[in-house]
Amino acid sequence: MIDQMIVSIVATIAFAVLFYVPKKEYLFCGINGAIGWGVYLFCRSYGTGVTVASMWAALVLTLVARIMSAIRKMPSTVFLITGIFTLVPGAGLYYTSYYLIMNDLERCIEKGIETFKIAGAIVLGIIFGLILPQSWFNYLSKITIKRKG
Amino acid sequence: MPESKRILNLAISVGELLLKSGAEIYRVQETVSRILESYGIKDYHVFVITNGIFATVYEQREDAASMVRYVPIDDVNLERVAEINQLSREICDGRCSIVEAHEKLETCKNSKGVKNSTLIFACGIGSAGFCYLLGARPYDSMISFFLGMLLEVFLITARKHHASKFIMNIVGSALVTIGSLILYVMGAGILFDKTIIGGIIPLLPGVALTMAIRDLFSGDYLSGGIRLIDALLTGMCIAIGVGAAIKAFQLLGGGVLPL
Repeated sequence: MIDQMIVSIVATIAFAVLFYVPKKEYLFCGINGAIGWGVYLFCRSYGTGVTVASMWAALVLTLVARIMSAIRKMPSTVFLITGIFTLVPGAGLYYTSYYLIMNDLERCIEKGIETFKIAGAIVLGIIFGLILPQSWFNYLSKITIKRKG
Repeated sequence: MPESKRILNLAISVGELLLKSGAEIYRVQETVSRILESYGIKDYHVFVITNGIFATVYEQREDAASMVRYVPIDDVNLERVAEINQLSREICDGRCSIVEAHEKLETCKNSKGVKNSTLIFACGIGSAGFCYLLGARPYDSMISFFLGMLLEVFLITARKHHASKFIMNIVGSALVTIGSLILYVMGAGILFDKTIIGGIIPLLPGVALTMAIRDLFSGDYLSGGIRLIDALLTGMCIAIGVGAAIKAFQLLGGGVLPL
């Protein structure tokens, strides 16, 4: 579990570099990615399916990204785009095309639908995360300004 | 040049760079509007989609101005988004004249970014990391590290020659697949599926998908749709690249290869 967390931080930071995130924010991006992956693993360990786990992870990740953006005075995109990469169904995409080539259509369709379901779940998770009004997060950034002042 | 035109030129240039660097539509629209307002223009219209900005000010007056910019979809550069966000805040607080704002915009445009060698290394680390997260052994992650570096070298070269995005995705994912399969056939004892998945992770349309949702959510259906199509096509291109490479190996091996 701990090794998974550390690797997810490092991998997310690697993607932060690829998307030219400002250097000061690398660690926060990494932490956000690790939180997303942690929620995913947590849900999986309680027996939920891949889809539901992805949704919860995307939801928590979006909320954390918005909180971080309020505290760090950065656009929330910075944390959201880099964090979400741990959840994007790359494996599903690979297996879908693999089984298609292998002419194993049954498994291909199974994997294909699963991939779409995961993508849809991530969409839902982000949308639920965006529903909370921005004013709540603005309040958070006011608190941090006061502390600094 | 009339004052209105200079202000509009500044606002739309800021918007253009912001859109090009991968900001959401509502952020671009809001930034352009706020800059116009903070320089005292009340009568304006701004329309932004994924690859263009249209804006007019003072339509009914003598010094009316309108501008259109075409903005092709480019690589994401979040540092620029953050910097321009800061710049627009300064403009809104009235701390920045038009000339100063133009100078700052130029420095944003020419900011050096990251060295190619760092990008290649980061891509390798990212691939290796995700390979490990998907349950591969450290040995496979190491192979994935090299595949990721190979991929980024290819991507940087392709970008330099302005290759189309489709070709980049298809050839890039095929390259990763071929690399893994060659090692596998040579008896390196790798889990080739995991190394391939790790290797193609940097190509995945995670950005496009996230942006599509954010645009759709804020009511920019056209822009969200464009991003969504982008995400789907990218996914399909990766699948084609991987599939074609595996098929080619199958044919060459005459069905003997235990793929």
